[in-house]
Amino acid sequence: MADGFLKKDDLNRLRASVAAKGGRFVAPVTVARQTVFKETAPSDEVALGYILARNSYKEFLFPQTEAIAEFSIHRQGVELRGKDADARDTVIFGARPCEAASLASLRAVFTWGFIDESYTKREDKTVVITVACTSGDDACFCTTVGLSPESAAGSDVMFHETDADGWLVYAVTEKGRAFIEAHADAWSAAAPEDAVARTLFMPPVIAGVDIKKIGERLKKKDHYDEPLWAELTRKCIGCGACTYVCPTCHCFDITDEGAAFEGERRKNWDSCQYDSFTLHASGHNPRDAQWKRWRNRFMCKFNFYPEKFGSKGCVGCGRCVRVCPVRLDITEVMEEMSKRP
Amino acid sequence: MEEQLRNKAKELLETGCVKVVIGYGWNRTKTRTAPVFITRPEDADRLVWNPLCVNNLSVYLTRKFKDIQALGKPAIVAKGCDIRNIVVLITEAQVRREDVVIIGMTCGGVVYRQELWKGELKPEIMPTKCANCGVRNPRVADFVIGERSSFTPPEAPTGMVFDKIKAIDAMTPAERWNFWIGEFSRCIKCYACRQVCPLCYCERCITEKNMPQWIETSAHPRGNLSWNLTRAMHLVGRCTFCGECERACPVNIPLNLMNQKMIQVVDEAFAFKSGYDEKTHPPMIVFSPDDKEGFIK
Amino acid sequence: MAFVCNWCTYAGADLAGTSRMEYRPNVRIIKLPCTGRIDPLFIIKAFENGADGVLVSGCHPGDCHYTTGNYHARRRWIGFKNLMEFTGIDMRRLHFSWVSASEAIKWVDLINNVTGEIKKIGPFMEYKGLK
Ligand code: SF4
Ligand code: SF4
Ligand code: SF4
Ligand code: SF4
Ligand code: SF4
Ligand code: FES
Repeated sequence: MADGFLKKDDLNRLRASVAAKGGRFVAPVTVARQTVFKETAPSDEVALGYILARNSYKEFLFPQTEAIAEFSIHRQGVELRGKDADARDTVIFGARPCEAASLASLRAVFTWGFIDESYTKREDKTVVITVACTSGDDACFCTTVGLSPESAAGSDVMFHETDADGWLVYAVTEKGRAFIEAHADAWSAAAPEDAVARTLFMPPVIAGVDIKKIGERLKKKDHYDEPLWAELTRKCIGCGACTYVCPTCHCFDITDEGAAFEGERRKNWDSCQYDSFTLHASGHNPRDAQWKRWRNRFMCKFNFYPEKFGSKGCVGCGRCVRVCPVRLDITEVMEEMSKRP
Repeated sequence: MEEQLRNKAKELLETGCVKVVIGYGWNRTKTRTAPVFITRPEDADRLVWNPLCVNNLSVYLTRKFKDIQALGKPAIVAKGCDIRNIVVLITEAQVRREDVVIIGMTCGGVVYRQELWKGELKPEIMPTKCANCGVRNPRVADFVIGERSSFTPPEAPTGMVFDKIKAIDAMTPAERWNFWIGEFSRCIKCYACRQVCPLCYCERCITEKNMPQWIETSAHPRGNLSWNLTRAMHLVGRCTFCGECERACPVNIPLNLMNQKMIQVVDEAFAFKSGYDEKTHPPMIVFSPDDKEGFIK
Repeated sequence: MAFVCNWCTYAGADLAGTSRMEYRPNVRIIKLPCTGRIDPLFIIKAFENGADGVLVSGCHPGDCHYTTGNYHARRRWIGFKNLMEFTGIDMRRLHFSWVSASEAIKWVDLINNVTGEIKKIGPFMEYKGLK
């Protein structure tokens, strides 16, 4: 039984209701011929016929660039002023089930040993509304990594498309339920008779990919210097675009900006695909070829995350495949890795 | 053509003339082409040639790819426009002509982006460079594969990029500023534009010079502006308008506009077009005492 | 902000100073060995750090202490000036000139004129507002 029904025409009422309570409403919007997650202004039109936004909504929980402290240097010494994350009530509308599943992974990293409040505070105040997929493309592979367009992990509220010009609304978490109640005006409690959930788009499971086997294989470190890595990933140009769009990539760098005597310390996204990522001050670089950097990315997805956190490193959203200028398709590497003993 | 290409690649590998053929191959679903590195003659059949072959593979000849150089002497499958980049690499002493075998492909144009391909190459899905291409019959190649193209580029360059530049030139400075700040504000500082560019081969890019941090790493409008201006500046007199940077940009920043504008500036000021002659020095490393300087007081 | 070469323009400015000529005090001079050493990024950095206008100046063509530094610089400026114009920077904020060691008067006039032009359009708020 659905917990409510939202007519497409009433989406703006929901947005207004969120705004009225001081929250920001993040939704897919068309910008420069692309569908992207964006904090919407009232004039923005929410895009509806998209497969997946180009960017991951992680940037609203883990901003691409963020000042974490300010400093000034006086005669008396150095003054440091920490900056709190501006955690605001946030609604992410139009997430897909794959990327919603990435939140557990991000949380695992940002609470591992040290609690990174600039992430946790934001996530705590975020409600994720996922719309189950009714379309997809040949880069989607959630089903191959054990998810599906129905997976609810990471979502607070789940929407299902219907032919009745609206969505069936389901609460997934307590947070989601509270959200539904708080914005009761926006939706009707009961769905119309003809509101039947549409058939979901199920990407075919890629035959020959065996996640378990990949995981086992990566555990034994003797694959490290196999020529296979270079053969499969030599074409990578190291642009890092894949990591920036990936919902589970989380690396950042700390940098100071400003003038000589005052400025701010910023936390900026970084990427393991850059050669400077592991460059030592001595000039030595342990990952001195692009395939080694790519191997790291693959290890991160199918070894580090599952082994260390028991969570998914890759949720099969396919963003990296779509964005890659040399079409380095992670599923092709998964396939090859599954073939090997 | 594909057959001829495969045979040539096979022959080059079998005779040991080259150790690797850098070309295009299909992805698993045969919906996109991607770079492939063929090292065994029996794999030469993986090579393909079609309007989806958009990548400018000459990037793999640069020093950014030491592990590819370690494979041994390369042959490269290249469109006429890609060869222009190889020519620039030669004039900049990055590649020696005799160290690379160029398999030039006569070209009927490619798609602007592979995702636009619906089985037929129409002008609407082609990049501006193809509409004005003077190198459909590759020059400076060791072998040319395919039948001669009779295409002659239009007298006055046409296409979206040229129209847009005219429109921007006609704007007031404030309008131009707003246009570019709007575009650049989307930049996510991934540097895909740099990585994909065959001419951005610096082992240590200015973005990585951090004592001081010349280009702010933050993807805020200020840092994005300095990055995009610097990138454009470093390509002055060198960029061939291959369009790879714009294609690779994940947020669709119209880098082609800036590049083409600078190409026009260089052509007007120094009567130079890059990538046509491997014997001429690039304009920014030489000078003439007669350079026009109306703006210097 | 003025980026000047050591051998001509800086000497010219110095002469203006030792001759006790008066000119507008708004300029901050950064001396470099030669105009050939002036990376366009310096100019961007100057704007980033709050300059309202930038002046670049060196030896007259033919007079460079290093023979050809200013010829190379000139080519670069031709590119850079056009790039900045295309980006929408008001060209009243970016000036290039040749000032020799003996041209103290030219230097004084130049600074007064450049400052005057920038004053007309005021602080570069568009750049300062980028964040
Ligand atoms: S690795 Fe690629 S497919 Fe997997 S979650 Fe990241 S972007 Fe999506
Ligand atoms: S895999 Fe593709 S997107 Fe990722 S760094 Fe390499 S070239 Fe860029
Ligand atoms: S078009 Fe872009 S990628 Fe191609 S040469 Fe010019 S700057 Fe480099
Ligand atoms: S942007 Fe400039 S410094 Fe960086 S790689 Fe390109 S040419 Fe080199
Ligand atoms: S590719 Fe685009 S987003 Fe990435 S750094 Fe270049 S301009 Fe910015
Ligand atoms: S020393 Fe003055 S310009 Fe070269």
